[in-house]
Amino acid sequence: MKQRNEPEPGVFNWLVIMAATCLLLYLFQKILWLVIPALLALMVYYCLQPLARALMRAGLQHGTAAKVLAGILALATALAVLLALAVVASHASSWQTMTGRYVQGGLDFLRKTESWLGDKMPMLRNSAFLRSSPTNLNAMGEQFTDKYLGLALMEMAHWLPSLLLIPYLAYFFLRDGNRLKKRLIRSVPNAYFEKTLLLFERVDRSLQGFFIGLMKLTFLDTACLGLGLWLLGISFPLQLAFAAAVFSWVPYIGSAVGCVLVVLVAATDFPNQPAITYGCIVLFLLVRMLDDFIFMPMTIGRSLQIHPVLSVIMLFLGAAVAGAAGLLLVLPVMGVVAVIAGSLGQILTDARLRARFRHANQLKLRLAGLP
Amino acid sequence: MKSPFHFLHPASDGQRIHELKRLSLFKTLTARQLRELDELLHERSYQKDEIVFDEGDVGLGLFIVVSGRVRLTSSLPALQQLAPEFGPGDFFGELGLFEEMERTARMVALEPTEVMALFRTEFFSLLERDQSIGVKILFELARMVVLRSRKLLTLRPHLPTV
Repeated sequence: MKQRNEPEPGVFNWLVIMAATCLLLYLFQKILWLVIPALLALMVYYCLQPLARALMRAGLQHGTAAKVLAGILALATALAVLLALAVVASHASSWQTMTGRYVQGGLDFLRKTESWLGDKMPMLRNSAFLRSSPTNLNAMGEQFTDKYLGLALMEMAHWLPSLLLIPYLAYFFLRDGNRLKKRLIRSVPNAYFEKTLLLFERVDRSLQGFFIGLMKLTFLDTACLGLGLWLLGISFPLQLAFAAAVFSWVPYIGSAVGCVLVVLVAATDFPNQPAITYGCIVLFLLVRMLDDFIFMPMTIGRSLQIHPVLSVIMLFLGAAVAGAAGLLLVLPVMGVVAVIAGSLGQILTDARLRARFRHANQLKLRLAGLP
Repeated sequence: MKSPFHFLHPASDGQRIHELKRLSLFKTLTARQLRELDELLHERSYQKDEIVFDEGDVGLGLFIVVSGRVRLTSSLPALQQLAPEFGPGDFFGELGLFEEMERTARMVALEPTEVMALFRTEFFSLLERDQSIGVKILFELARMVVLRSRKLLTLRPHLPTV
């Protein structure tokens, strides 16, 4: 008796997976107000599952354990939303000034770096980038804060109420998730039953591995970057590190945005010490390397099993189809689609299972007295 | 207010627990443990002559007969002699609970049959979170495997004893 190895999906299968992912992203974009809270609820569900099991071991019934956890989560979410709304309302104008200051600090740093580069490498003085006048940069900075910060804050306030859906959905996932899965499996014909169980288990394992891994990765990134920024004397080290870690949920592009954020704050905090800003960039790159070579394999690992080149292509496609949300959702959605497509392919092309399904149908017809 | 998912909840929890308690594999479990286990059990119905699983299929779990009868056929004659039929309370396919191996027998329903299936990965996750349930089930499984091994030895006396 030997264990069976399952075949890797071929080129055609990957094209189907990519097309299905783009279609799903297009549909998700239409109901983003529901998709984002549902995704976050799923994340919360996987993180709370061990706690729910611990409560059940302590003697609580399944439904009660779900109620207790969802109640705590609902309270925490409601408090967080109220607090965030109050903070946004009271600090919106000062944030506009503060953001303007940080953008200005970043532009000053850019200008100093330009002149340093011009001194060290005279041939760069003629480049278009170094010839742009400082007044242009200042105008760009002011325009950015005036135009986009207000919009960003409005968008944030608009999204906050739909976040209240998270505990509600998480409660039903915790309470009824398993029953729903059982009901779905019950509707599968007997011939495909065991293979379908395997498919569900794979999807569940992929999602669980991804979401729990993402939480651990965010914690490790925040701790490492926060400690480094604190040692360098940068203001708001923990908040900055957490924001950079959350941004890095969007692969490649998110990391760049996180780095820009750190540079802006460092350049404003220490306008006359560019070495500290360069130190922050080095620190950021070190944390990214730690992330890629140590933390990522330890946490998310190969849970999604997507080739890096394919990941980059899909990021561009995701952004083209569904914008910023596409960037965030494309890899997890593709991971799940790949698992489902791979398993479905195996189930539907298995000659033994198809023969058994036909046999069961013939038995049904015979029982009903049909030819 | 009714839950949007109220259709998922079974009508009588007590009756279900009583049914599970009657099965030899779960007879030592408490009501709480049975409730937790019930979350993992999958019910299937088979018509007369329908195949439950086939020789050569990859085994993914264990089946317990709730009602009806199931017949075993195998290319291994000893297996055929060991337990040709399984009735209410009996279980089969237990090796699938431990390893992803090919099944060594075909199981066919002899009459309309209800079974419950326990899937390997779900059983392993249960073992991780509540070892007390796992130990009780594994003990019953081991007891049955020992009984079947003894029976196999009496059928094939030249086999060495361990």
